[in-house]
Formats: sequence, structure tokens, C-alpha cells
Amino acid sequence: MWQKIYLYFFIIAVLVFSGCETTTTQVYQQRFQQPAASSDPVAAGMEMVQRSPLKDKVLWQYRTALTAMRYGRFTEAKQLLDDALLTLNAMMSPDKNARKARGIFGKEEQKVFIGEPYERAMAYYYRGILYWMDGEPDNARACFRSAQLMDSDTQNKTYANDWVLFDYLDGLATVKLGGDGSDALKRARQSAKNFTPPDYDPQANVLFFVEFGPGPTKYATGQYGEQLRFRTYQSPVKSAAIKIADATIRIYPYDDLNFQATTRGGRVMDYILANKAVFKETTDNVGNVAIIGGAVLASRRETQEAGLATLGVGILSKVISAATTPAADTRDWNNLPQYLGFAAARMQPGRYTINVEFYNQFSTLDGRFNKTISFTVYPPPRDTVVFISDQSITPMNL
Amino acid sequence: MKKSGTILNLGIIVGTILIGAGCASTVKNPSGVPVTVMRPDEQGFVAGTGIESQDLVAVTDKMARGILSCPEIMRAQGTPRIVLDPIINETRFPINKDIFLERIRAQLNEKAAGKVRFLARDRMNTLQRERTLKQTGQVTSSSDPNVVEFKGADFFLTGKLSSLTTRTSQGTSDYVLYTFQLIDARTSEIIWEGSAEIKKQGLEDASYR
Repeated sequence: MWQKIYLYFFIIAVLVFSGCETTTTQVYQQRFQQPAASSDPVAAGMEMVQRSPLKDKVLWQYRTALTAMRYGRFTEAKQLLDDALLTLNAMMSPDKNARKARGIFGKEEQKVFIGEPYERAMAYYYRGILYWMDGEPDNARACFRSAQLMDSDTQNKTYANDWVLFDYLDGLATVKLGGDGSDALKRARQSAKNFTPPDYDPQANVLFFVEFGPGPTKYATGQYGEQLRFRTYQSPVKSAAIKIADATIRIYPYDDLNFQATTRGGRVMDYILANKAVFKETTDNVGNVAIIGGAVLASRRETQEAGLATLGVGILSKVISAATTPAADTRDWNNLPQYLGFAAARMQPGRYTINVEFYNQFSTLDGRFNKTISFTVYPPPRDTVVFISDQSITPMNL
Repeated sequence: MKKSGTILNLGIIVGTILIGAGCASTVKNPSGVPVTVMRPDEQGFVAGTGIESQDLVAVTDKMARGILSCPEIMRAQGTPRIVLDPIINETRFPINKDIFLERIRAQLNEKAAGKVRFLARDRMNTLQRERTLKQTGQVTSSSDPNVVEFKGADFFLTGKLSSLTTRTSQGTSDYVLYTFQLIDARTSEIIWEGSAEIKKQGLEDASYR
């Protein structure tokens, strides 16, 4: 009788597993590989946006948009960020993949990537810069407000809404639109740690958004990689200066992404993953005990049937354990900066070429990052926005 | 002999299960969602707490009705001329600001049967160029091109979008106040004001929190 049962089980198992999507797996792996090295990283990023599975599309849109901004290709950056923010804003809708990601057998990385709150905030921040660049300070302000909101549900409320620049720029846009930005300025100064942002100058018509240093990345720890952690790096650059003819504008880091990424506290998903890890470990242990016990019982003729049943339970438990996936999602927006700086200046309309220098922690010039940027200052009332990264191409003609 | 047979059978079971467990069960072919035609005033299955088409339709319909019932418009001597002045966005949602006023204008033009006229100030460059062509005789003209016929505004239609937002671990709540005004271009009086309020709440899936 047992032989028949085994044979039946075997046939069923073979039939079931023959349906496994090995081809799809291979295709998926091929699709997720980085494209060949290209002299045009924006085009390569665009290709990844097209080629990547839906769940990773926003990730590639984030990365590529920032690369595009560093290459002065703002139209492409706008398109990418608009599309990414559409996905981000639609996350209130029921999502099958998100539900699966929470399930015992689902992987967290199955869900559509929209990033951790600091990544979402940065997507809004960059879109805000681009809106201001297009002469829409009110839409820019809307983005800065949404960016700040992304940081509002921290576990420790001390660290909620504590991005300095988002509030500062919210207030500056309000001042530019004829409103009162004093509340926003006050909030920005309360959040400031090492450097306090200056008073607003409503006549300042050129806005310099400067960023430098490597931003945080993610990794997983724990027995099953169920604990999400952030890896931070020591930035070689701590401040910057913009040189326009004889004038120098110092740029200080008002916001630190390492700080923002690591002060969020636990996520709801962390508890889910911790529970998955406990479940995985328990079913694994039960499986071990049952297999060993079952094998011992099965070796004796009088307890053979009970032993085989126990063995079956053990194997089932091991299979369930193997299929449980508590690993944290470590996909990250890996080209973010560490520091965000800002300065506003009054400049006459016309064509300018500026040099941007970056300094280390000892305020010594690090010549590796020097930039030369040419741009045109618009006549009033439109503001001119200049985006500068230590990773920007140089020279850049805007 | 029997014992070795049992072990063999066990090996078969364990082997097939282990092989099966190694299959990439998480990879699937997404089936997609068929295109669904919806009315612009109904909430779709893709929704957030931001400003959406159903809000636009509800708000602009209400404003168009309000403008038409305004005494200064209803009892106006002659046809009032209105110019659109861009609305101010004070919400946390970046939007295409023109879309609200454009829909109000379209509603009034469609349904008010000439009770009001809108001036195409956003086309002034094109209009000026055409006038210059006529003045220089490069194109024909049905009237004297040197006489200024561009109309001045009797009223300005403008508005403001303001919002209040709360976000906690329980979800996100967004309240948006839409206010629109008709301003007398001669006296700066606000002769009509209409408002609409929409509040939405939502919570992302736990996997995003």
C-alpha cells in the first residue's frame, strides 16, 4: 500500500514541479542584470527603467533621474520623477504584491519599490528643484511639503519632520510668492543641527542647490537577513564654495541623509519580518526533530507507519521553513548624496560661469571634485535655479 | 530488503520535495489589468489622497454654477468679459494649475450660452503677431487693423488651493480647500466667491510602513 502512496505522491510532485517557471526565472535574472557599460549612463538607466520588472521600475527611475540631473538633462529627470511619484502617490490602493510581501512565503522585495521615507522624500525634493527651475515655485513648495511629510511618522517623534531644507525652501517659496515664510523658517532653524540657515532674501534671484558625499545604502542582518540596516560612509567632502568672479558663496550641509535614514526607528514591516523569521526557525526546528524521530521510529517494524507519518510531517515542516522568506528588502537608491546644501544670491541677468570647490573636514580643498558650470540668469521675476552635485559632470553648460 | 525499500521510497519523497522547494515560486507572469473606461467624476481603482479627476469635476462644476448665479453676471448690461488669472497652489500636491480654470471656462462656454465671454490672454503673442501682419499688409483684414479691438477685462477669475495634512502611523489625511473668486477689474471688489472642501484619508499597505 505504501509503495502505491509513494508512487502517487511522486507522480503528483513531479507533475506539480514540472510547471516551475525555470525559463521565467532565467529571463528575470537576465533582465535584472546591469546593462553593458555605456558612455551615456542616463541612456543606460532609461534602458533599465524599460527592462526592469514593474516592482523595480521606480528604483531605476529614481537612480536615473538623479544621474540625469547630474548631467544637466533636466527634461529626462522630470519625466522619470513624475512617473515615479505617480506610483508613489498611488500606494493607498490595494496592492497584491504588497500583500504577498507581507505573507509568510512572500519576499519583501516582491513589493513595488517606492523606497524608505528618506528616499521618497528625496524624490519629492528633486522634483521640487525641477519645478522651481521651470518657474513654478508654488509647485516646488508643494513638493518640499510632501517631502517633509514623508518623514512625519517616525517611531521617535523627536526625529519627525526634521529635514531643515524642506521647511526652509517651503518658506522661501512662500516669501517669493508674496506670503509669510516666517513659520517655516522657524521650523527649519529648530531642526538645524550644525548649521543654521540664514534669513530669507526675497530679492535673491539665483538659487544654488548643492549636494555632496555618498548617501546611505541598505543591508540586511539577522539569522535570515530579516533586519534592515543602513550602511553609512564617511564623506570626503564636508562643505563647498561657489566662486563667481571675485565673490565666494559658502555652502554648508543643512541636511544629512545618513542621519535621516538612521533615525526613523522601526518599521511595521520589521515586525512582520521578525515574525516570519521566528516562524521559519520554529518550523525548521520542528522539521529537524520530526525527521530524526520519524527515521528512528520508521527503522523499527512495529512503529514503521507512525515513523513514516512523523517523517512526513518533518519534511513538510522543513519545506514550509525553506519556503518562508523573512529577508528584508535591501533595494536602495544607491546614488543619493549624503549632504544637502543651499544658497541664494542676487545676480544681474546674463551669462555666468562659476567654479564650485569642495572641501574636506579640515576645510582643505579637495580638487578632485571641482566643477565649472555656465548658466544664464533670467530677468526678474523668474528665479534661476542651479543644481550642483560633487558627482556632476564638468564643465557643464546649462 | 523491506527496510532498504522504505529508505528508497523516503529518498524519492525527500528528493522530489527538495527539488520542488528549489523552484523559483516567487516569479510569476503578471497578467495585467484590462483598460477600464471610467467617468472622470468617479473614483478609480488607483487612488491616493491627492487631487484627482473626480475632485476637479466636482469643484469646477460647482464653481461654474456659482458664477452663473452671481447677480453681477446674471443681470449684467452687455456681456461681461473675464480673464483667467492663474490660481495659487498652497497644497502639498504639485498640480497643473491651469486645469481648474480651464474646466470652469469650458463649462461656462458650453453651458452659459454667451452670458459671459473669456478673453484669450494666454494667446496674446499669437494675436499680436497676427495684428502686426495685418497692419503691415502682409495678410488681408476684414476691419481696420490699426483700431485696437482687443477687449479689456471686466472681471478676473482666479482661485487658491490650500491644504491641511496629517500623517501618523494610522494613515494620511489630506484636506483641501478650493476657493475661487471673481474680481471686478475696475474696483478690485470680489463680487463672487465659491469654495469646495474635500477630505481624504488613506493608509498604505503595512509593507510600506
